[in-house]
Amino acid sequence: MSAPFTVPTCRVCGHLAYPPRILCPECGANDWGRTLADRGVVTEVTVRRPVFKRRQLPWGNWLDQEAVRLAAVHVSVGERSVRIVARVPEGVEVGDRVTLSAQASTAIALPGQVADAAPADGAAPRAPAHGGSAAAAPAPVESE
Amino acid sequence: MGGTERSQSPPAPVIVGAGTTVYERHPAVERRTETFIAEAVVAALADAGIHKNEVDGLGIASFSLAPDHAIDLAWKLGMTVRWVMEDTNGGASAINMLQHAIRAIEAGDAETIVLAAGDRMEKREFHLMTDRYNRVARDYLAPLPLNGPNALFAFLTERYGRLHGLTREDFGCIPLAQRAWAGRNPLAVYRRPMTLQEYMESVPIAPPLTRFDCVPIVSGGDAVVVTTPERAARLKGPHAGVRAIRALHNHDQQEGDGIHSGFALFRDELWEAAGVRPEDVDSAHIYDDYPVMVLVQLADLGLIPDGDVKRFLHKEVLEEMRPVNTSGGQLSAGQAGASGGMHGLAESVRQLRGTAGERQVADCELSLATGYGMVLYTHGSCHNAAVLERRGG
Repeated sequence: MSAPFTVPTCRVCGHLAYPPRILCPECGANDWGRTLADRGVVTEVTVRRPVFKRRQLPWGNWLDQEAVRLAAVHVSVGERSVRIVARVPEGVEVGDRVTLSAQASTAIALPGQVADAAPADGAAPRAPAHGGSAAAAPAPVESE
Repeated sequence: MGGTERSQSPPAPVIVGAGTTVYERHPAVERRTETFIAEAVVAALADAGIHKNEVDGLGIASFSLAPDHAIDLAWKLGMTVRWVMEDTNGGASAINMLQHAIRAIEAGDAETIVLAAGDRMEKREFHLMTDRYNRVARDYLAPLPLNGPNALFAFLTERYGRLHGLTREDFGCIPLAQRAWAGRNPLAVYRRPMTLQEYMESVPIAPPLTRFDCVPIVSGGDAVVVTTPERAARLKGPHAGVRAIRALHNHDQQEGDGIHSGFALFRDELWEAAGVRPEDVDSAHIYDDYPVMVLVQLADLGLIPDGDVKRFLHKEVLEEMRPVNTSGGQLSAGQAGASGGMHGLAESVRQLRGTAGERQVADCELSLATGYGMVLYTHGSCHNAAVLERRGG
């Protein structure tokens, strides 16, 4: 089951930190909300072949290894941005716009519906997925 | 500036010995992590001409020593020590330990310190290591499934190639040249000469990376011995004096592009502290987990002064065989887990001591060794470098 892709956001200075940190690298606060950050552009793509054909998991059983298509995705929210490592389906190439969704603890990128993604650019982010009152909604802030 | 005399070296601690085990792809079951580390320690002490009872400090780096620690090794090696440390910084662990060891010896906390690294690294150990490298790897990368850092460095290779207009043939200069060096190193796992065609046609691992852009996983160990200049004067030289060490970790909070490294931020300070210039370096031992990182480090540390990476690769690395990773580096000699960080430092010491055999660089007086590693999310976070010089003998 997948959920909207949100990124931990410092409520004090607006810094986006993915994966989550403890203290904000920019201002040092420990006060985090989350911002919807599900639109991105693919900057690099690779198909990761398994190092070994089969692998043994820590609990002992063996798993056949498959190739996985992976991408570096540049996600912008207002003035700020983060880089996400994501799994992408066949056909996604460098320069493609993608929509990110979160599945368990894993970032999964689905092919962007370009027409839908485009208008989202520059628009105010939607409400955070969870945590924080409306006042604390971490709208992207201008860098000081 | 050309031909300027170097500033007088301070009477700093010196490295008096280096040891490297045979690197094995499929070691016998009884050859454990501690076996490889112990063999490296014994080899380094023999090289230095120091008995284990004279050692009073021990530093260890390993991914797979658990549940043992450095003190368990001290016991198993019969060493009584006044100084002990364990380093967890992977590719940066050797120079990090050296940085600490130098200060400990200067402060009088210890006189003779052995720094060793090693791992028994096979399929299972490799996956345990990469899947649980840190919490982020376990929770955000392993489930993709990422399966080790190859894909991340494929991104960095693509990014760096785009910036400098490099093709696979260009990047290939590094593995090709290092393979040629490895042919002169009896301990390397890949020694057969490699052609450009073989490189170009090798198995894709995470395009643009192919098999020969990725280090062969091996089991092995490396060690060096550090002591006071007074103690060193009574040993057979020449030795490797440490002119300067600089480090920078987590310089960009993993929010940079991974190809603008922390090395660039301490480059000027490193060369100034060393009192020499990058062009004075006779042999460079650059942490080579992937060819792209060799280029990033050489460029960021000032060894490609005109910034023309393509020319540097074809002319200096491949055609002129400028001494870079003369053991074959990890790309040809193999990566023995945390020993990858010690591998270049040990080779640097051999070059300065004149013990590098067939691959000895003539009149090697000044050497550079680097450490890089610890991918936190998208790229390595630890950077360090040591400028070493030939002393005595």
